[in-house]
Amino acid sequence: MGVGRRGKAAHGAFPVLVLAILLAFFFSLCAGQYDIDPLAILEKAMEMLGIPVRSGAPLTAEQEAVLLHIRAPRTLVGFLAGAGLAVSGAVLQGIFRNPLADPGIIGATAGASLGACLAIGMGLASGMLLALPVAAFLGAIFAALLAVALAMRHGRIGTLALLLSGVVVGMFLAAVTAAVLTSLDASKMQQYLFWTIGSLDYRRWDHVLLGLFPILISALLMMALSRHLDILALGEAEARAVGMRVTAYRAIFLALAALSTATAVCISGSIGFVGLVVPHAVRLLLGPGYRRLLPASFLAGGAFLVFCDAAGRILLPTGEIRVGIMTAFLGAPYFLFLLRRYVYRI
Amino acid sequence: MERDMFLHSAPPTSPDPPLLEARSLSVGYERRRVLDKISFGAARGELIGLIGPNGAGKSTLMKTLGRALTPLSGTAFLEGRPLDAFSAKAFARRVAYLPQRTEPTFSYTVREIVLAGRYPYLSWWQGEGRADREVAEAAMAYTGIRALADASIDQISGGQLQRVLLAKVLAQQTPVLLLDEPATGLDLMYQEELFRFSRALAAAGKTILVVVHELSLAARFCSRLILIGKGRCMADGTPDEVLRPKILSEAYDTDVCVGTHPVTHHYDIYTKVQPPAEEQACLRILLGEEGFHGRW
Repeated sequence: MGVGRRGKAAHGAFPVLVLAILLAFFFSLCAGQYDIDPLAILEKAMEMLGIPVRSGAPLTAEQEAVLLHIRAPRTLVGFLAGAGLAVSGAVLQGIFRNPLADPGIIGATAGASLGACLAIGMGLASGMLLALPVAAFLGAIFAALLAVALAMRHGRIGTLALLLSGVVVGMFLAAVTAAVLTSLDASKMQQYLFWTIGSLDYRRWDHVLLGLFPILISALLMMALSRHLDILALGEAEARAVGMRVTAYRAIFLALAALSTATAVCISGSIGFVGLVVPHAVRLLLGPGYRRLLPASFLAGGAFLVFCDAAGRILLPTGEIRVGIMTAFLGAPYFLFLLRRYVYRI
Repeated sequence: MERDMFLHSAPPTSPDPPLLEARSLSVGYERRRVLDKISFGAARGELIGLIGPNGAGKSTLMKTLGRALTPLSGTAFLEGRPLDAFSAKAFARRVAYLPQRTEPTFSYTVREIVLAGRYPYLSWWQGEGRADREVAEAAMAYTGIRALADASIDQISGGQLQRVLLAKVLAQQTPVLLLDEPATGLDLMYQEELFRFSRALAAAGKTILVVVHELSLAARFCSRLILIGKGRCMADGTPDEVLRPKILSEAYDTDVCVGTHPVTHHYDIYTKVQPPAEEQACLRILLGEEGFHGRW
């Protein structure tokens, strides 16, 4: 597809992204309250890849446990959530032809919050590890379905109608959440508050397994169908004129975006900014063509979230700055920098 | 009349069976019927200008023929089959519809936009192949935008964008083209160029329906004009048959004069209206109480 003025950025983009991911993973494995020698981590990684390295100081059993059972799952959950949010943000921006679209726009985030709030309120969250994520997932899917059902008329899904019904469903569910919240005691309210900020605390391999297949499968399907997104992004009249079944494709993409958003929110809590900013940043560098935009957003979103999470732990060594805060702290200035540097017309 | 004789050499009633045909077609929206029982046929190689006042239903008719709207009653036929007998892609391989006022979002490149015209030829899992790229390159070369292929569509002028969109519908390789006001808002040069392209394409065998506002432009280039107004088809024939003061005056609800330009011998069409007294009174208010000159 069209290269030209974006050609230079495009050719180097994927190696750079892979490098960024490796670096972010390494940072994330190194960062934390428990002191582990970075060289030993590197050595361990080489060993696991089957490259034997003459060892200087091997990891203790305790260090190995921290790495394998705390930091590794946390890093992978961060990657999956960031990748899922960025891809669905990119897809939704194309479907809506709206630069402000992000995974929250179809009400999914508000639905997830309500699910999480109910799970916490009923006391399920503290008992079962997966109760909170599953409730959040169901809430997100419910909200997205409701928004789409309300926007559907005569077998067509109008983008403006969907935009409005998504926002209204989101506001309504937020009000329900607020109503439930006011009846909760202080500790449960605090638990909910922490969930809404989004964190990768206490993520286990269960979370990785929970998120792996839905996010990977929905992202791969969206990438496989990315040519159709380019047509949808031209607008409904244009897409129909070249023989696209617009409603069917919109429904497919909405379902896939809702699935990956819901899964991401379910394993990491509500994390803003990734789904809005990462696709824009990638679009600025690589152009709007979805065949490059989706894989690049997937990798960049994952790397960005892992990096934010690691930075949050490095900056505040005694505790951590929660990742939902870091994404905004790092994402906003970087995006504004890009916006000023490139003339951006969406 | 002698003007542009060569243009009208093709007889308006061609012996070919119509490629695209409307039979007592009523078009409009849920609560508003725009055109009632309109019938016409378009044969191979015809360049038909759809004219009529604003809001008469030209675009609504085009949308219906392009399957963007379902007819309220009656049927439109393509190759003798009802329009809805075709699958979405099969239809898009036969009829290319250029909607009015397409505003691009996202900064796609010209080539990417033109390649979108190949969509109806691809299965859902396929990407564009070499043949598709060749068609797109040819479409860009034909419309003179090959040098812009890698430019982003938000960096080019309105006239160039119209060429890009024309290249896109040409890349669809359809026997029928529906162009909804392709020339509106363009510079004179681009307007005439668009009609020259249309005429050449019609001469090569394509059937083209084009919505035009400029009546003299329509008369110069189209082999046939269909005048729409008052919710129906008011005239259908060669420009000389349709562009009569009486018919136009009725359609446009005002006194329309039809003359001939002394130099070019093109149609010169204008309205003759006396500004009513009320208008004069309003003008005095709009210019300030003492009038424009009193102020300065």
